[in-house]
Amino acid sequence: MNTVISPATSAPALRLDQCAKGARVRVVNLIDQPLFGAQDEHVSLRLKELGFLPGAPLKVIGFGLLGADPLAVQVNGTKFALRRAEAAKICVELMTV
Amino acid sequence: MSAVPIRLALVGNPNCGKTSLFNRLTGARAKVANYPGVTVERRSGVVTAMESPAELVDLPGTYSLFVTSPDEQVARDVILGKLAGERRPDLLVAVVDACNLRLGLRLVLELRSLNRPMILALNQMDEARRRGISINTAALSQAIGIPIIETVAVNRQGVADLRDALDGYTRQPPVPAGEQVITLSDRQESVEALYDQIESLIKQHVIQPEAMPRWQDRLDALVMHPVLGLVVLFTTLLVIFQAVFAWATPVVDLIDGAFVALGEGVATTLPDGILKDFIVDGLIAGVGGVLVFLPQILILFFFILVLEDTGYLTRAAFLLDRPMRGLGLSGRSFIPLLSSFACAVPGIMATRTIADPRERFITIMVAPLMTCSARLPVYALIIAAFIPEQTVWGIFNLQGLTLFVLYFAGVLSAALIAWFMRRRAAREEFPLLLELPSYRWPMAYHLLIGLRERAWIFLRRVGTIILALSIVLWFLATFPGAPEGATQPAIDYSFAGQLGHFMQPLFAPLGFNWQMCIALIPAMGAREVAVSALATVYAVGEESIDAALGATLAASWSLPVAYAYLAWFVYAPQCISTIAVVKRETNSAKATTFFTIYLFALAYFAAWATYQIASAIVN
Repeated sequence: MNTVISPATSAPALRLDQCAKGARVRVVNLIDQPLFGAQDEHVSLRLKELGFLPGAPLKVIGFGLLGADPLAVQVNGTKFALRRAEAAKICVELMTV
Repeated sequence: MSAVPIRLALVGNPNCGKTSLFNRLTGARAKVANYPGVTVERRSGVVTAMESPAELVDLPGTYSLFVTSPDEQVARDVILGKLAGERRPDLLVAVVDACNLRLGLRLVLELRSLNRPMILALNQMDEARRRGISINTAALSQAIGIPIIETVAVNRQGVADLRDALDGYTRQPPVPAGEQVITLSDRQESVEALYDQIESLIKQHVIQPEAMPRWQDRLDALVMHPVLGLVVLFTTLLVIFQAVFAWATPVVDLIDGAFVALGEGVATTLPDGILKDFIVDGLIAGVGGVLVFLPQILILFFFILVLEDTGYLTRAAFLLDRPMRGLGLSGRSFIPLLSSFACAVPGIMATRTIADPRERFITIMVAPLMTCSARLPVYALIIAAFIPEQTVWGIFNLQGLTLFVLYFAGVLSAALIAWFMRRRAAREEFPLLLELPSYRWPMAYHLLIGLRERAWIFLRRVGTIILALSIVLWFLATFPGAPEGATQPAIDYSFAGQLGHFMQPLFAPLGFNWQMCIALIPAMGAREVAVSALATVYAVGEESIDAALGATLAASWSLPVAYAYLAWFVYAPQCISTIAVVKRETNSAKATTFFTIYLFALAYFAAWATYQIASAIVN
């Protein structure tokens, strides 16, 4: 998998779950999430199918009440609700406006 | 053309307007059934105004052929012709939301790789234009090699064009090319390749402004706000319950009055005798007692449909995801559980959208604890008879408050049970990944179709199972008649009386008398029948059913007994349809047995505890 790299080998990157409300970011890559176990690859695939691909612009719209979970994110004009576990799979960089 | 109708299937993302298009194409004559072997609702219908007969199937919404939930799996299996007993569709009608082009096109390009005949319906074109999205349909169609028809599900023009295209297909079906098998090995890369293709298609053929309409974002800022959003949610739920109980009353009274008049009319016209007793006490009392609840059921479904159509329900799921996760559920379980307030059967069927099998299981197990509309008649009858109509703490009506407590008891128990079940299971994370669709005005046409469907299902239930149970019950309560020189009321000697006396010792610790025991049996078929059963055994069918029966009950039951009976109905897993749908959905005899026993045990215990505690307080 050329796009799935472990956090250890990548430069310290910003993850989507660390972004503030209103942040505009761009997807860098997707990383593994041990919480999902054997499911992880399926989760990566579904995220990509929904448009969370390297280069895609994202906007953090809001958070849930407890533990700021889940997150609402807009990608390509479509809004999605992601839990922190999924959001932590998405490495992003801040967009320079 | 051949006599066999061609088969068309509507495929598309969730929320792309597939079902509205289905209603338009079939004139809203849907045949609602299940797919063979699985309880995913299968809606099919004959396309109207076609040159040759065509059957249309509305597949469950899906993002991908790489499926993650039971309903997506059904969609894939039907498309591939892999579902036993379901003929593969001759033509796929892919529905794409023009406002959500990327996601829709992705599925279309994936479907294209199957080399199946396909037409693309580009839906919500009006909304897309309003947002300044401009699509060069002809060029896009040429680029992807699939005919594209622009449609607007609310008006007829686009739908007529779609019909013409379907007719064109029927006249000259293309020769299907060799089929491709999808392998999962190189999918991760192919997803990106597909999106590159989509980006270049969009760059060439679509002018798309970046921003969403501002009111949409503003509305989301409010309804998804961590605090204000919850205020909006609870206000909405409160309004719904208020509406179900308050707004329905005039119509309920009207129907009730009509049945009373009918009963009296028949009673004065027909000569005294067994036939008159049968029609008045058996038919009119039994069926009328249940039919009066049609308005309440329709109001509840109306609100659920509106919330679903506008796109609000997913925002509620977003807000409740974290609190529900503490119980082993998720935002995804919210929608099935909310539907269960109308009826547990569609609620349990709606759990198929939950990807996590463990979460799905727990949702199914607790869904019947959401007070369904069939329990309303029982609650309403007993509350009206035993709880005085007075105002407490200035604003609350004591009867309404009691009803709220009963609903709350169900929800609280469901939360505790879900939490307990989750603790016993190993934790495994599943993603939420829930699309929050754009807000949309609900379409009156679509709402009316949905309500008509619900009303019809309810009326069919009244006309079949409830009618049959009422008749059987009347016979059991009437025959055999009292012997010569009998001292007891006639019903004591009937089959129903004997059965009630036989069951009574088992329910004595709960304070139930034999009449209450009898009513529990037909309530297995449909809970509402408990009301008509009580009416029949207390033989007061000839007057306004609720009021007269209420007075009789108030005279013959003590307050603790009434409370205990209510507690029983909060938990008891009857009706049979619920147990049957659990069996079909879990496909496990063990799970179904567990479900039935745990709920009966809980009902027995709750009624026993209520009776004992209430008795201790009263004395």
